[in-house]
Amino acid sequence: MNSAQPQEAVRLVEVTKIYRMPRGSVKALDRVNLSISAGDFISIMGPSGSGKSTLLNIIGCLDVPTSGEVFIAGKNVSKLSESGRTRIRREKIGFVFQQFNLIPTLTALENIAFPMLLRGERRHEEKSRALLRAVGLSEELGEHKPAELSGGEQQRVAIARALANDPEIILADEPTGNLDTKTSREIMGLLKALNERGKTIVVVTHDPLVASLTRKTLRMLDGRILSDGGATTDGGETDSGATERKTQTF
Amino acid sequence: MRAVFLRFALRNLARHKFRSTLAVVGIVIGVIAISSLGILGNSIKLSFSEAFSAVGNELVVHPKSESTISEKVLREVERASGAGSEVIPVRQRTELVDFGAEKKPVVVYGLRSEDIPLLLELEEGRLLKRGSSNCLLGSEIAEEHDLNVGERLRVGTQELRIAGILKERGLGFDINPDYAVVVEAEAFVRLFNASHSAEGYNFLIVRVNRLKDVERVKSAIESRLNKREKRVSVLDLKRLMESFNEAFAKISTFLLGIGAVSLLVAGVSILNVMMMSVVERTKEIGIMRAIGTSRAGVLRMFLYESLLLGFAGSAIGGVLSFGGGFLILSFWMQQTSYLLAPSSILCIFFGIAFGIATSVLSGLYPAWRASTLNPIEALRHE
Repeated sequence: MNSAQPQEAVRLVEVTKIYRMPRGSVKALDRVNLSISAGDFISIMGPSGSGKSTLLNIIGCLDVPTSGEVFIAGKNVSKLSESGRTRIRREKIGFVFQQFNLIPTLTALENIAFPMLLRGERRHEEKSRALLRAVGLSEELGEHKPAELSGGEQQRVAIARALANDPEIILADEPTGNLDTKTSREIMGLLKALNERGKTIVVVTHDPLVASLTRKTLRMLDGRILSDGGATTDGGETDSGATERKTQTF
Repeated sequence: MRAVFLRFALRNLARHKFRSTLAVVGIVIGVIAISSLGILGNSIKLSFSEAFSAVGNELVVHPKSESTISEKVLREVERASGAGSEVIPVRQRTELVDFGAEKKPVVVYGLRSEDIPLLLELEEGRLLKRGSSNCLLGSEIAEEHDLNVGERLRVGTQELRIAGILKERGLGFDINPDYAVVVEAEAFVRLFNASHSAEGYNFLIVRVNRLKDVERVKSAIESRLNKREKRVSVLDLKRLMESFNEAFAKISTFLLGIGAVSLLVAGVSILNVMMMSVVERTKEIGIMRAIGTSRAGVLRMFLYESLLLGFAGSAIGGVLSFGGGFLILSFWMQQTSYLLAPSSILCIFFGIAFGIATSVLSGLYPAWRASTLNPIEALRHE
């Protein structure tokens, strides 16, 4: 538990997260152990309140565990300061959100360039144009504000933004939640292509179809990760039970 | 990296043009208020110190133990003051003057004929010879009652011929001849002998030739005359000027305080605008934080916004302050000659600096709030 293996992108050791609420505490994560190897493409499923988003936030260094340790690319991030975690988010992690979460005052290209500007990247303009093309958008869409783009286009821009600083890990929280089936498939195809080029991708989803497009699915319930595959036997508590278990083990 | 936050700040201000404009207007008004009132205070001070500037090297000696100053005390003061000073004894009383249509009490000064040119200048006519029963008339009194050289004026029980009209002298701590009648010393005793006030002098003016000797002459007079009992009090006009200047500084501060209140209100309005901006953009702040913007970056972005509002408002306010200063001066002082005095311009710079400082200070709290938002909660915000 002291050092993570180099090919491990994410490692969680006995991670517990307790939220203190006015009416008592809520245990969002309960001694979660998890290892995600570099280059993996996994989905996390589970009912609302099962702890999926908390897990993603902790992996993404947006949140800190109440106890336990978190390693990102071999580095223990659970003891990092706020600015240390900000740096990890900027350089090691790319976020994709359900609501796209582009900055409305910036054009698509500026949104893509933003994380590069935070890092002081000089070649941000040509790099963001290249990313725009890489996610399958035409150059002229780059000058549009997010409100002038369709949902699918916005999510492509968001993925390009997530790739801006060439992070090792892409975390996607319900990336297709606001998209129709056809666009969802396109977005998942894009993520799959990124995975094939070596990115580690973690997708939180409600949608069994989306989960089926990943290489592996984890199921969560009451703050715990159910043993892989076996989760489907839990009766009506999980979404649909239709999740396929794909190859590979950890 | 800095430039990106500055650009951001500009865009966010442009997004709410009306609101930003109102915030700028608030600062503009505050800066104009503080500058114009500062200019007013400064101009009052300048006009007073100009009126009094001639008398900085004078001491005024008043009787303390007795009601008047005797000939003997005069000699002692002359000896104490030494060769570098001139001692001018002054007699003064108030007489009812008959202007025909009305009778009014007017101050009458009795001055030795040789001293008159030291203190007074003629507008027209001629000065008084020794023993002359004529009189000189102050400029204001002559103008007000349309009196001319050669005419006669009834002062108390005496009828005096007007030998000359004096130039305007302005306010003084020694004598104020503009609204007074001046009579030769011997004639003063003769004409107003009935009262004992003619026996001695009412006060002495000691004119010290060199300004730096004023202190020394003052203490020489005091140590010589007030050794056993306090016979005279010596008023140092330089010192008096200084305390007047202090008083004017207080007036200026008070006026600036009024201006500062309006700037404070402007500051509160910026605070309000910025708080609204933080609340509205909570989600955006969450996004920025999530994708790796540091707290310092968010803080800077919001500080830039209030700084831009402050700069714009203060610059416009600074320019308009010349107009504001002009208006307030023409309204209060009926003259605007002090508007472009260096110390007035300084007031405008002060107003500008205060405007910028106010906006930065009122931007600090919202910026701090924005930077310390929890990114997860901010992301959830709609």
